[in-house]
Amino acid sequence: MKLSALSCQLSAVALSLAVTAILEPVAARQLASGPIFVESSAASELTFTHVNGANGQYYMAEQMGAGVALLDYDGDGDLDVFLVQGGSLGDKPPATSPTSRLFRNDLTVGADGSRKLRFTDVTDKAGVGARTYGMGAATGDYDGDGDLDLLVTSFGPEILYRNNGNGTFTDVTRESGVGDQQWSAGAAFVDYDRDGDLDLFVANYLDFTIANNKRCNDSLGARDYCSPRSYRPVPDRLYRNDGKGRFTDVSEAAGITKADGAGLGVSTGDYNGDGWLDIYVANDATPNQLWINQKNGTFKDDGLLSGSALNAAGNPEGSMGIASGDFDLDGDEDLFVTNIVGETFVLYANDGHGSFDDARARVGLAAPTAAFTGFGTDWFDYDNDGWLDLFIANGAVNIIEAQRGEKFPFKMRNQLFRNTGNGRFEQTSKAGGPAFERPDIGRAAAFGDIDNDGDVDIVTTNNNGPVQLLLNQTGNKNHWLELRLQQPQGNRFGFGAWVGIERAGKPTLWRRVRTDGSYLSASDVRLHAGLGASAAVTAVTVQWPDGVREKWTTVSGDRVVTLTRGTAK
Amino acid sequence: MLHAWEQWDASHEAYARCQALAPRNFECQYLDALVLQRLARHADAATRLRQSLTVTPDYLPARVALAEALFEASSADESRRLFESLLGEPRAEPAAELGLGRLDAAAGLHDLAIAHFQRAIALFPEFGAAYYALALSYRAVGKIEDAQRALALHAQFGTRWPAVEDPVKDAVLALRDDSATILRRGIALADAGDVAGAIAAHEAALARDPSLAQAHINLVSLYGRAGDYVKGEAHYRAALASGADLGEAHYDYGVMLGLQEKWDLAADAFRQAIALNPAHAQAHNNLGQILERRKDFDAAADEYRRALDAQPNFRLARFNLGRMLLALGRNDDAIAELAKLAQPQDAETPRYVFALSAAHLRAGHKDEAVKWALEARRLAVEHGQQELVAIIDRDLARLK
Repeated sequence: MKLSALSCQLSAVALSLAVTAILEPVAARQLASGPIFVESSAASELTFTHVNGANGQYYMAEQMGAGVALLDYDGDGDLDVFLVQGGSLGDKPPATSPTSRLFRNDLTVGADGSRKLRFTDVTDKAGVGARTYGMGAATGDYDGDGDLDLLVTSFGPEILYRNNGNGTFTDVTRESGVGDQQWSAGAAFVDYDRDGDLDLFVANYLDFTIANNKRCNDSLGARDYCSPRSYRPVPDRLYRNDGKGRFTDVSEAAGITKADGAGLGVSTGDYNGDGWLDIYVANDATPNQLWINQKNGTFKDDGLLSGSALNAAGNPEGSMGIASGDFDLDGDEDLFVTNIVGETFVLYANDGHGSFDDARARVGLAAPTAAFTGFGTDWFDYDNDGWLDLFIANGAVNIIEAQRGEKFPFKMRNQLFRNTGNGRFEQTSKAGGPAFERPDIGRAAAFGDIDNDGDVDIVTTNNNGPVQLLLNQTGNKNHWLELRLQQPQGNRFGFGAWVGIERAGKPTLWRRVRTDGSYLSASDVRLHAGLGASAAVTAVTVQWPDGVREKWTTVSGDRVVTLTRGTAK
Repeated sequence: MLHAWEQWDASHEAYARCQALAPRNFECQYLDALVLQRLARHADAATRLRQSLTVTPDYLPARVALAEALFEASSADESRRLFESLLGEPRAEPAAELGLGRLDAAAGLHDLAIAHFQRAIALFPEFGAAYYALALSYRAVGKIEDAQRALALHAQFGTRWPAVEDPVKDAVLALRDDSATILRRGIALADAGDVAGAIAAHEAALARDPSLAQAHINLVSLYGRAGDYVKGEAHYRAALASGADLGEAHYDYGVMLGLQEKWDLAADAFRQAIALNPAHAQAHNNLGQILERRKDFDAAADEYRRALDAQPNFRLARFNLGRMLLALGRNDDAIAELAKLAQPQDAETPRYVFALSAAHLRAGHKDEAVKWALEARRLAVEHGQQELVAIIDRDLARLK
């Protein structure tokens, strides 16, 4: 069914719900000059430690994981946390391995606006604890029943969990037609063919197997992890949703297999501004791909021609995580990609037509990132000033000389950058708090307002280390707006919608509804925008995934608002 | 030593100490600048390079590095002046033209940039970075086909760069004589076609570190290419004993056995490689070719298909699959596979397209057969493949 035909079917009840879901008043919080983020995993009982299973064989898969997803799986209005587990590789049987865990958010808000955050491990009850050597997570409502389903990528076949809507999930890998045997990493749900349901793109990495493990040494002759160049890339997969709970592998027919790459991060967006969703893939040590949607069910890789595949010297970089968003408020989606130590992380600035300029030095992101290997990242406005900032989870993949002799000599500090609004970024890691001083082996990072207080928090994972919950302490000094989109059926959360938040005398803030991006992570499906000193919003324009536009003129800031399709006024 | 072993922060500290002790020492300033460039501290690197050039004003690599550092540090005017001053230095001229082109491109002056990039390429025809920059400027002015041609040449030449002789830096790099460095030299020699030199470097690397499994595996292939199968066999055994990367060891051994036309043993080796790595596309393809020799076309087609599952853009495997389908009389299936090889167009495309013509002829599509034969001929002429042109002409004459 065409979504544009649905508006006439909306009930009076649905109409009355438009722009009504004012869920959370602003908490009256004392403005302190403390750290921007406070690490709160232990205090909130979000206790999880990733196990990489390293046993001295230096298996490639050990150093890559693992991921995290933020999703409101039980529909109670707050973000729950799914953490992907590794386990053991090689000889040990998988039955001895720990499993991925799902933590339910039991947030309570006091009458005075104070918040108490507490997590409860509900893995067994929810049925998402399958034993696999997990890599990443992706979320999307593939069956159109109004709740987010969960895909877990792994070193081995991926797993698709259908959310039953009652606090439990069912493993539907087999009957859904996914479950490719390749080593999968990043993934994204995207309605690429505009048929109203969510399709699935899975980035696959290398042809590494335990049996074909190679022996690589560092410059001093010590055993170390191999470069990705030691193995061959394996093809990515595009699955078309047939609308009945099954996916068909259309990788070849869609042209996805025409270009190779060691795929890690995946992000979706309309990079050439033609109204159709494209797919960007960060490939490790191979050219990144920009799959431009040809509007006929096929894609064409425009990475090289677009300038978003290589560095300025024409060389591929060790691309891992992706931030996709409009950092310069010019109305298009720019790409920030994390790389390996010595390369610096790259900002590809979009000209609005899908041509990109390597702006890393110009914006001040080259030098501060040169000494780091970056993974999870995303644009997010941590101080709610209206400009998208950056968080980067860092951790090495090869031995750091100063840590030689330690058991896991790959620790680096995470980084925080503030967008100054004049085309430059300044590093604010020190102000970020003690969590930014402590080096660890950073990997995934997912973003969302976990305590529903109007600012964006972060869950970041560490390879062979504990999860970190970074609660934002400062964002609600400024005004903000959070939006949840809703369609009556099919792609119910409006994945792919392009939303403009208009403000008097200021540039429009553009956001894309998606949960992909970063590295092995799925972020909050709700949109967040900092509004700066004024809560006033002139209008909110939504371009739905099928191209239909609607404009709401009664939205104001400092609240969570649900925009239901067909109810604009 | 720290610099040679890529200990960037530590080497910067050492050079800084050196400069404090000997402020007029050129090497300390210049080498520190190179380290700072690696740390993406381009403005600091430019400062050091300016200092170094006050001591040794004519050191050409320092002048080039300063112009590049200033470009990266967004000091466009000074960078331009320096690049222009380098146009009179034949060894630095390609890099100067590239730098001037990048400055113009950054200013949006793509027509001027294109002219600079073209001059850089004229001076050094294998200048990979210049082809990439040229492609982006062509794209910016809407010349998409020119951009795609430049990208194809960038893909061909990759990272090749017109080196300016730099004895100061070379002296540092020469300090490094670890097995991994020697192995890298050996691989570079092999890539350049110097098999004897590559073997010597690999053996030298193994002399330093006998456990270097990669060297053993590469020597299986290198001794195979040199026809010294006994030594190749010995290194295969050593690779197996190392226990690492056995899939590649079996694969390279299979290739060596194939060179000796020991087809059954080669097939066994490829199967062992596949058992360890089911996605080993080359092993599937080579096994397919052995099965094809045995006239087991169904099994060969299966192997080619598996090669394509693992590596869908493995064009040779698709070509082989198309041929096998033709041999099995499955003409329409063969046409479907071979038609996928018409793009992209490279030196292999003429014979692929000619095979597509043959498939259409087998299927009774004479007009299509003539059409694709003419296309194959056009491409063969474009790539200077006169022998193939003659064969196509002969077939076209028969068709007509």
